[in-house]
Amino acid sequence: MKLRVMMLCVVSLAVLALSPWLGGSLKGDLGWQILWQLRVPRVLMAALVGATLSLVGACYQTIFANPLAAPSTVGTTAGATLGALVPLVLGTILGPQMIQSAFGLPVTALAAFAGALAVSLLVAAVAVQGRARVNDVLLAGIAVSLAAGAISAGLQYTADQAALFAAIQWSLGHLPQVGYRGVLMLLPFVLPVWVVLLLQTRALNALLGGEQRAHSQGVDVPRIRALVLGVGALGVAACVAWCGPIAFVGLLVPHLVRLGLGVNRRVLLPMSLVVGAGFLAACDLGARLALPGRELPVGVITAGLGAPALVWLILRGNRS
Amino acid sequence: MSDAAQSLLCCNGLSVVADGRHLLNDVNLTLQAGQFVALVGKNGAGKTTLLRAALGLAKPAAGRALLSGYDANTLPGRQRAGLVGWLPQNAPVPEPVAALDLVVAGRFRFNESFAASRVAAQDALAQAGAQEFENAAMTRLSGGEQQRVALAALIAQESPLLLLDEPANHLDPAQQIALYRLIGDLWRQGRAILCVTHDLNLLRFARLPNAAQAPLRVVGLQSGRVSFEVDFDAPELAPSLDRLFGVRLREVSVEGGRLLVPEDTR
Repeated sequence: MKLRVMMLCVVSLAVLALSPWLGGSLKGDLGWQILWQLRVPRVLMAALVGATLSLVGACYQTIFANPLAAPSTVGTTAGATLGALVPLVLGTILGPQMIQSAFGLPVTALAAFAGALAVSLLVAAVAVQGRARVNDVLLAGIAVSLAAGAISAGLQYTADQAALFAAIQWSLGHLPQVGYRGVLMLLPFVLPVWVVLLLQTRALNALLGGEQRAHSQGVDVPRIRALVLGVGALGVAACVAWCGPIAFVGLLVPHLVRLGLGVNRRVLLPMSLVVGAGFLAACDLGARLALPGRELPVGVITAGLGAPALVWLILRGNRS
Repeated sequence: MSDAAQSLLCCNGLSVVADGRHLLNDVNLTLQAGQFVALVGKNGAGKTTLLRAALGLAKPAAGRALLSGYDANTLPGRQRAGLVGWLPQNAPVPEPVAALDLVVAGRFRFNESFAASRVAAQDALAQAGAQEFENAAMTRLSGGEQQRVALAALIAQESPLLLLDEPANHLDPAQQIALYRLIGDLWRQGRAILCVTHDLNLLRFARLPNAAQAPLRVVGLQSGRVSFEVDFDAPELAPSLDRLFGVRLREVSVEGGRLLVPEDTR
């Protein structure tokens, strides 16, 4: 067990350390600059986003006692997409310079953040209603996601070609070249989120024995659910604001980790963090290397890997 | 202090209403340390609701459920967990949680390191005779083994009042007897036990043979009301149960007690 934890940590760190060096040639005067100004911050970004999405996914799966719970199923990512599309489309009407930036931040990121947070808080509000059952919350999340998706599609229909391309690129999920500034702006959001979520390990472990048993053991179940949903939404919103809805990471990584290391949240939560960081960095490496001379959005890779992997997990789970 | 403050559980005129229907109606029941109450009644009589009210899971429409004098509904979670523990009925653990981890969860109310929780959990597993399952996944244990681990979690929680909801349901006879022996051990350690059951004949396995018997009462619930409360050894038990269930029970003496056997009245 300890050996496997160590091995996964080493593999994850190795991916993070090596991936900036792989890809196009780093020879020449520009090489050093490409490495330190473009690739290293991008790998750091991938690590932060992958770690956050995976940890939040693992926590959501616990509070909902549902292996399908993830930031995408409670509406967080749909809200972000809706939020991001509004300025993308408005930009074509008002002129791009009108919406370029506010407070020195891209408006798209701000709007995506607001959208993600608003929708998840709406769903969290349903969750803290004492009488709402777990599946009600997931259904609410899916309903809100569908509604947000419909509005998004409507917005895209009214957009011109440039905005449409930007919208598609955004909604596929990608790791932007935002440099160290993006990393530094993401850190103050995701670090506290990690700390707060990891501090709930004991309560989340107690929830594995069932909601009511956890209640009888002293866990304030509605409170923990609202806390994890709200804090998780904050972290995911910050990530999605920069990268768009990167599919499947929050769903897949916790499943992979529990396959190898078991369900105890004392191991699963921190290791989802570590493996998620390595996983998204590896996927981004694949996105850079897949097509020579072009770059795929990383969301295409994660979804392309994630969907079959999920089916495989389900089939495997059914057999045992 | 009043009686209510000394009782581990004191239900005062407790009524619980759901969708306009009385699940519990003016129930009065007290339990002191070292007492055992078996709660019987037809399906839907309110047995589980009574346990849920004592856990603060069902909100009373009238009256109160007091735990050592504190209202179960307003107690903070950790404090309540220090006063009452619960063995839920059919609470499957869907994920392959290791038995030890499930017992460690019983230590949630304590402010202690994981290492301390682990030691206490191992001790509780040993007391429940389940130490061999320590690393086994709950999903791979048999029903009886799972109940032993669940009882170990209650032992680890160290609360003086245990609410057991049909603990021996779906177990084979050997497991049923072993489980009631274990419950009897916990009882004799001074805990108060409120146990929902349909099979009163199993209760004698909670007692020691040829020993002075601690008080063991049977409380009958009918449509949310207490219909009788009698001593387990009293001759009124059989006729009270007859009226409650609408079957004729015959007492049959056996070594170390008596059995209640339904008669075939066809």
